[in-house]
Amino acid sequence: MIKRIFDWLRQPLGLVAVGIAFLALFSLAAYGIYYTQQPPAQPIQFPHKTHVAFGIQCLYCHPGAERGPSPGLPSTAKCWACHQQIAKTQTSLLLAPLVESVRTGVPVQWVPVAQVPDFVQYNHRPHIAAGLNCEDCHGDLTKMTIYENPQVMNMGWCLNCHKEKSAGNPELETKLLDCGTCHY
Amino acid sequence: MMNKSNIPEVGANFAEGEQGKWGMVIDRDLCTGCQACVAACSMENNVAFVGEEDSGYGRSMHWIRIERFWEGEYPEVKMTSQQPVLCQQCGHAPCEPVCPPFAAVHSQAEQLNLQVYNRCVGTRYCANNCPYQVRVFNWRDYTDDRLDPALVTLKNQYNPDVTVRRRGVMEKCTFCIQRIHKAQDKAKSEGREVADGEFTTACAQACPANAITFGRVDNPESLVSQLAGQNRGSKLLEELGTLPQVTYLNGG
Amino acid sequence: MSKNFSRRDFLKLAGVGAATTAVLTGCGPASKYVTRQQYLEMPEYNYNGQSTYYATTCRECAAACGLVVRTMQGRALKVDGTANHPVNFGKTCARGQAALHGLYNPDRVTDPVQRTARGGDATTIMGWDAAVQTVADALKNNQPSEIAFLMGMAPDHLFDLVTDLAKTTGINAPVRFGALGAFESRTTLSKASEVVFGQASIPFFDMGGADVVFSFGANFLETWLSPVAYTRGFSNMRRANHTKQRGYFVQFEPRMSQTAAKADEWIPVVPGTEGLVALAIGKLAAEARGVSMPRAFAGVDAADVAVRSGVKLETLERLAGMFANSASALAVPGGAALGQSNGLGTAEAVLTLNALADNLGKPGGVSFSPVSPLNDEYHRPASMKEMQDFIQQMAAGKFKVLFVHGVNPAFELPASLDFAGASANVGQIISFSTFPDETALLADYVFPDHHSLESWGYQRAATGAAQSVLSGAQPVVSPYFNTRSTVDVLLAAAQLAGGDFATALPFADEYEFIQNKVSVLVGEAGGLFSAPDLPTFIAYFQQHGGWWKTEAGFVTPSAPDALNRNINVSEAQFAGEGEFVLLPFVSPTLGEAGANKPWLQELADPTTTVMWNTWVEINPVTAHELGLENDDVVKIVSEAGELEVPVYLYPAIRPDVIAIPFGQGHTAYGRYAAGRGANPAKLMGPHFNEAGDIAFAGMKVKLEKTGRQQFLSRLESRMGVYGEGMGEEH
Repeated sequence: MIKRIFDWLRQPLGLVAVGIAFLALFSLAAYGIYYTQQPPAQPIQFPHKTHVAFGIQCLYCHPGAERGPSPGLPSTAKCWACHQQIAKTQTSLLLAPLVESVRTGVPVQWVPVAQVPDFVQYNHRPHIAAGLNCEDCHGDLTKMTIYENPQVMNMGWCLNCHKEKSAGNPELETKLLDCGTCHY
Repeated sequence: MMNKSNIPEVGANFAEGEQGKWGMVIDRDLCTGCQACVAACSMENNVAFVGEEDSGYGRSMHWIRIERFWEGEYPEVKMTSQQPVLCQQCGHAPCEPVCPPFAAVHSQAEQLNLQVYNRCVGTRYCANNCPYQVRVFNWRDYTDDRLDPALVTLKNQYNPDVTVRRRGVMEKCTFCIQRIHKAQDKAKSEGREVADGEFTTACAQACPANAITFGRVDNPESLVSQLAGQNRGSKLLEELGTLPQVTYLNGG
Repeated sequence: MSKNFSRRDFLKLAGVGAATTAVLTGCGPASKYVTRQQYLEMPEYNYNGQSTYYATTCRECAAACGLVVRTMQGRALKVDGTANHPVNFGKTCARGQAALHGLYNPDRVTDPVQRTARGGDATTIMGWDAAVQTVADALKNNQPSEIAFLMGMAPDHLFDLVTDLAKTTGINAPVRFGALGAFESRTTLSKASEVVFGQASIPFFDMGGADVVFSFGANFLETWLSPVAYTRGFSNMRRANHTKQRGYFVQFEPRMSQTAAKADEWIPVVPGTEGLVALAIGKLAAEARGVSMPRAFAGVDAADVAVRSGVKLETLERLAGMFANSASALAVPGGAALGQSNGLGTAEAVLTLNALADNLGKPGGVSFSPVSPLNDEYHRPASMKEMQDFIQQMAAGKFKVLFVHGVNPAFELPASLDFAGASANVGQIISFSTFPDETALLADYVFPDHHSLESWGYQRAATGAAQSVLSGAQPVVSPYFNTRSTVDVLLAAAQLAGGDFATALPFADEYEFIQNKVSVLVGEAGGLFSAPDLPTFIAYFQQHGGWWKTEAGFVTPSAPDALNRNINVSEAQFAGEGEFVLLPFVSPTLGEAGANKPWLQELADPTTTVMWNTWVEINPVTAHELGLENDDVVKIVSEAGELEVPVYLYPAIRPDVIAIPFGQGHTAYGRYAAGRGANPAKLMGPHFNEAGDIAFAGMKVKLEKTGRQQFLSRLESRMGVYGEGMGEEH
């Protein structure tokens, strides 16, 4: 039975069919890749570049990065501390969700972009302590509105850096290339 | 080109007789079998409960279990001292060389047996090769709240520092490696070494009888080294050459 | 698969399929974006991604262990003990650990509800304003003598509030009850201690300092009184150091409990003869010491006791010699030994052994725990006899309204007392239960209290600590469901009801009430901390998880005549007929109310390793004589009822005794508890000992085969009962 299928596939019509099927599969895959690389829709088109241009430090809004695993989102109160003094906030369409949040007490629902899978235990603190800057991983925020990952954050990318930084230091190498450093 | 450093090393990297890094001492004379360690471990490590039927098939997922055996017959019957059995974090672990995708690997940095969940494909070779029967397998999606709506509320309790495992993955005791990392991270940020007794595993922290002690076995000053050095200590199935890191104290 | 379809073809097709799947799914970050909420206003002591720890008090039993709960982003993640808390010193039991499965249980009562018909599941959700009005109406529209409160053994602050209310308004004083208290025979222990030591209280047994411990049925490593504190004591007793030897521990009971399994010797005495054995040991020990024979032991014939108790005379003499020659011997009464018709006599006999050992008030001996702050003396929960009186009043229609909080009488009380039947004659039943338990099903209204980890409060440590302890509770997370603190409900209702009620409880909320209560401790000397004013005191109280004295405050029992009075241990009476004595015991893992927590169900019972069910323990020899094997379902027939339970062949139980754990057999109480196992309370008849506690171990029962089998899930099947064949099914 299976032999008949393969015989049919070897004749010209079969080859065309295989070609079409392959093309369909390929374009589906290409679309799949394109689709999953799109940054997600955010409730507010948050202009990072504007805030950075005002001279606000990353750690002002994301202070957790210095202390532990999660850099954290700024609280509504922190946004409001500045924005309530800015007249445009009340009228801006862009900022309507923030105003709404302050009025109703319902938090803004952000969508995190720089994510690692559940089985990776990532900690910001040692990276900052090792002298890395935010833009080393997250890209140049002076040019971004809503955040986009500058590269695919996968294990190869992590390990490349770990290897570079630990080269020549056997103790550090053991630590930084150990599976148990990130996976448990 | 494939060079040697791309191939993960298999098995222990220290010779027989050498010490590992982290170790545990369990005093069987003090253990009352009360299950506080089991509950504490499960709460700390997001261990799934499997329900009556699956636990009847031996699929329960305790990372630590308390063994007890009977000796003699009534009225001269005696229960052996309770023996909490968890991953012995072998220096020469039988589970490691048999894992096809290298999910069971030895941590060179912490000298522990790791189970890398994202690598595990569920061959269960490691569990079959483990003489202590301490590896447990996720036979079903016990943690998927789409399959069990009860988990929608219960999952609020999950420890964010520990991966929630899914179906088809082998898992086991990690010596609470998340606590090890947290303590090391804290110590490093304060520019010091981790002190003995500064942190401990969930089981040792809960144990009402203080029967479990955890610490650095490579530090002769640590409490765990001193307890292990008493002459009433023994290790489980040591004769297999597994170099277990858990010492059991027997008798009084 | 057709025979033309070879394995090789299959692999080819499978390879194509796998490649396709890999291409389609293996691209970049999975498309599962989640949303994340920002804090509206982050508490200043919080950091993103870092845990915040709160000190509070465990309410899984009434022992008042201090807890520190790890929370992150508003969720409670892990429970551990408070390091310097005098009751538990940083330790917890399994039930405390699993408290989070109560907090985040899917079956909690989520809103205040009115029940359509008693006993039914159908309810309608009402608002909290209507709920408070309902309580206010119940208080206002009934005579004070028609209003009753039935409460659990925790929390104490709510009990104090209702007691204050009762004093001012004349409503019935709150009645407290708990199955654990009944199985501990607290009334018997406290009465015996009054007779022997002149103080009606729970004695504290300092195991840590003792060389020899004789326990007569006390299951202090399981659920008894303050299990974490007693496990610590046991551990210290067993640990040899440069000042003391490893202590020797002997347990006298008909079935090897988890506690007996840790004993150096287990003496399987005939049920009901524990008191006689204690007297015989007293007599032989006095002889061994060569002191003049105390009157308490003079009338005992040791040889006769040996025959009746089934303990050889040589064994009695050997143990008596050990007791007499020890520098620090201790005798502990408890558990099933007191749950006999002669339980009071047994308790007196065992307590008197301590007078003989001359350990009263000494390290390694018997003392009284200091009275807790905000308390005049130890107030014991109601005995079963008092509960019977209470239920008779219910049945007689004396109560128009019954408030129930923190206890589940419809499950915990013996079915023979017929709480459910009597409740039909109560006009209105209002339950404050967090869970839809059996009693909440009988209630017209359920106004759910917060879970204990969401609550303010305090609990007094009745025993277990060396110091006077008031353990403080505070919410570690904000309420998960639409629940409201029962204290707040009562305060608001009292204001609405007006009159005496409003004057009795002039507090805005629970927090103010607790501040008012603990304000007497401000400036009190000798405490863990001292504070010049109330706000500072409260801040420290929350930070440390309570207030306690820094110095031990044991009270030495005064017993000048303990040895010179007659002790009457009558012959134990057994209700019902049959060849077996039934010994119910509290499940060491579930306790009285743990069945709704899935991880407690999944824990293996320490002695049998059974999970998720109820079993009946039978000696293997007896079972084989009856033709019974493991997992055969038998019917246990007692005078009061019958129960079908699978058999577990238990190697360490007397052949004439069968044992069954208490804790399962719920008909309600959430998905993990309902319809699982069997409840031995159905078998218990209304028989009491001289102190009024139920003679729960004084029953004779018959066994009938059913011919059915029900397989018990056991952990041990993975390794075999006797350790043979690791990994094989036994």
